[in-house]
Amino acid sequence: MSRRVLLHVGTPKTGTSYLQDVLFQNRPTLLKHGISYPADRFDAHFLAALDLMRLRWGGLEEEAVGAWDALAAQVRAHDGTSIVSHEILATASRAQAERALESLGHRADGSGAEVHLVISVRGLIRQIPAEWQENVKHRASITYARFMEVVRDPERSHRIGAWFWGVQEIPDILDRWGSALPPERIHIVTVPRPGGAPDLLWQRFSTAFGLDGIELERETERSNPSLGVPESALVARINRAAASELSPASYRPLVRELLAHQTLSRRTSSPRLSLPPADLPWVEELTEKWIAELDARGYDVVGDLADLRGTAAISDPWPDPDRPRERQVAAAAVDAIKALLLASAERESEIERLRVELEDARRDVIRARSPRLMRSMEWTVRRMEDSQPGRKALGAYRKARGRASR
Amino acid sequence: MSAESRAWGWVAALRAGSTTSWLDWTADPGADPVADAPATGPRLPGAQHLALLLRLNRRAADSGRSLPAGLADRVVAADVTGRGRAELTLTGLDGSGFGPSPVDPDALEAAELLRVASLLLAEDVARQPVAQRSTIERVRSASHRWRQLTQPFVVVGSPWRAGAARADLAGQGHPSGGRRPTAYLLAPDLATLLADAWTVRSFDQGGVTWGAFVKGAAGAGGLPPRADLPRMARSAAQRYDAGKVVIVTDPARLADALGVADVAAPPRLGADAVDLVRRIGDPLGLLVDHERRPSLLHTALVDRLDGRGGPAPTVPPRWSSWLDAQAERARHDLAAAGYPVLGDLDALLPGPQPTEPVRPVDDAVLGLALDLLLDPVAGAAQASGQGRDQGRDQGRDQ
Repeated sequence: MSRRVLLHVGTPKTGTSYLQDVLFQNRPTLLKHGISYPADRFDAHFLAALDLMRLRWGGLEEEAVGAWDALAAQVRAHDGTSIVSHEILATASRAQAERALESLGHRADGSGAEVHLVISVRGLIRQIPAEWQENVKHRASITYARFMEVVRDPERSHRIGAWFWGVQEIPDILDRWGSALPPERIHIVTVPRPGGAPDLLWQRFSTAFGLDGIELERETERSNPSLGVPESALVARINRAAASELSPASYRPLVRELLAHQTLSRRTSSPRLSLPPADLPWVEELTEKWIAELDARGYDVVGDLADLRGTAAISDPWPDPDRPRERQVAAAAVDAIKALLLASAERESEIERLRVELEDARRDVIRARSPRLMRSMEWTVRRMEDSQPGRKALGAYRKARGRASR
Repeated sequence: MSAESRAWGWVAALRAGSTTSWLDWTADPGADPVADAPATGPRLPGAQHLALLLRLNRRAADSGRSLPAGLADRVVAADVTGRGRAELTLTGLDGSGFGPSPVDPDALEAAELLRVASLLLAEDVARQPVAQRSTIERVRSASHRWRQLTQPFVVVGSPWRAGAARADLAGQGHPSGGRRPTAYLLAPDLATLLADAWTVRSFDQGGVTWGAFVKGAAGAGGLPPRADLPRMARSAAQRYDAGKVVIVTDPARLADALGVADVAAPPRLGADAVDLVRRIGDPLGLLVDHERRPSLLHTALVDRLDGRGGPAPTVPPRWSSWLDAQAERARHDLAAAGYPVLGDLDALLPGPQPTEPVRPVDDAVLGLALDLLLDPVAGAAQASGQGRDQGRDQGRDQ
């Protein structure tokens, strides 16, 4: 049984994709230090989380049957430290959290594995716009104004509002996940405010997960980059126009990956998404309440709870993604069209290459099945077609055969 | 008496069959003469779980039934499925001040209760053995194979309709198949065909609501593949030869052609019944391999829901012109292709759609779910907690 389990349950948009990719890439190195990150594919813990919480996710859940139990079995089988990480675990119910902890070896009497809960957090001032953008990158066409309405609805009866608070309300997440654990085994990693040292978040993760001193390859391709205001508005419009006609299997590579991540996220000079100024006082009040509560609970904080206050973006006028500057949206759209054209051209070339390859293979198959006489006749015809007299003779033969066959 | 003690008392009473609402509950823990369940536990069940148990008790009391053994325990220990709020707190209890607002269970919407009920039903369905053909059926089927030599045919079209027709004809000694068969394409009116396509999709994949299904199809400008008759006809023509495809708008004419009394229509599942299947299919997809989901849902639910769930769903008025245009196009394409027709291609045109469209209603769907929990599909009486593991084991055996 794992002696120690580090269970990272969120929150989204706190550098989790990067962390998980570093852990996945460095599994052999980590194992040499007694640390297991049990995953045979990069999204193994995501599938396990879907299974644990019985969540549907655009068909991906079909690959998730039994994934949590399989992951938990690997954790229990490892003699050392195991890490489990996925940000959507933040939304688990109490019953699901209880089942997860038990399956990972936690026992109420202290006889089981030493389970530590890790949660990485960022201030609402940045999380609210980021969550709207995540919705947009997952096919939603909800306006920013409507999103703010459902987020501020105290009943949380809308699906989007329920999900938002499920993965973002830090004290409630820790109520659901941490009620069976002593506070010293609950670690809050705060995301530094903008302007801090670029490596600071990683250093905090490294401290929380006990990775200090281990030489890790940290170059990764997987990340979840953010979009600016006109780019987000463009994707929301694309969703309104086309999302219902695109299957999840097509939407993911074309819109989310090609357009949003690989193309539009590179337009870094456009205005950044931020909280509507009118909502700032509400967010500040809520943040202070959270900081006081988390401070009082005595958790281990890696970083500073004051990071949750964030820094309000100052721009006048406030760039509203529901009313973006159309010239900026048009410029983003041109980039998007260019990317789609290039991808389409590349795909055409690939189809042509495969067509030629298929034709060659078909010819080889026919040749392999043709009798020797047929092959020698083909060889003769090809040789004759290469020379002037040969072509004449062949023409005469075909003419004669044509007459004879009438 | 603290609010939490009062809540535990209510939980115990509900487990013993009480029909008293939370706001009317005043008894001390253990004071209810029928409440012999433990009065405390590690944590209170969610308000949506308790609301479901209360509804089950009331429905059972109304119909003179009692809850199957173990069902109350399963309900209070159940998960919630899908995106939404986790366990809700009862109004009047001291919460932490965080999380969703406390609620009165009686005021919860049916959709919230269905998140619990559909998961319990999915566990029941996962325990079903997939129906196997008996030896007698296999022998009978083999004995009728000679018919395929003298009258080879296949029935194609919407899987919901064609599958039922094939099964019925096989039961009458007319198994489909044979060399160079005639392909009979069953072609009901487009409104019916669209409802059939949603039904099949609900069994196959769960997921999308009727409203989203219609909106998605209409927004895309065409028809879903399983409601696109010209496409089905082309597909049959490629497979069986164009001269062998016959469009059937009148099933009685097909019965005459095959020499049988009639050809059965598919089971009639109303809008609410199909919506329940859709909701159960979602969590079922995480309990068993997805290939097994349709057959498990069929085995467990079709007979139970046949004739229930209200009328079939209808297309909302805002999409009726789209429906008419698609039906006209289908009729034109089939006529232009020159396929023989048993019946009249005009029958493809949908009749006038009701001004008040039929769509699933959450309360009615919940009513069906309560009945399926009170009178469980076979195998549900097994000990609680086995569904998940057993469902997976069955999945691995495939």
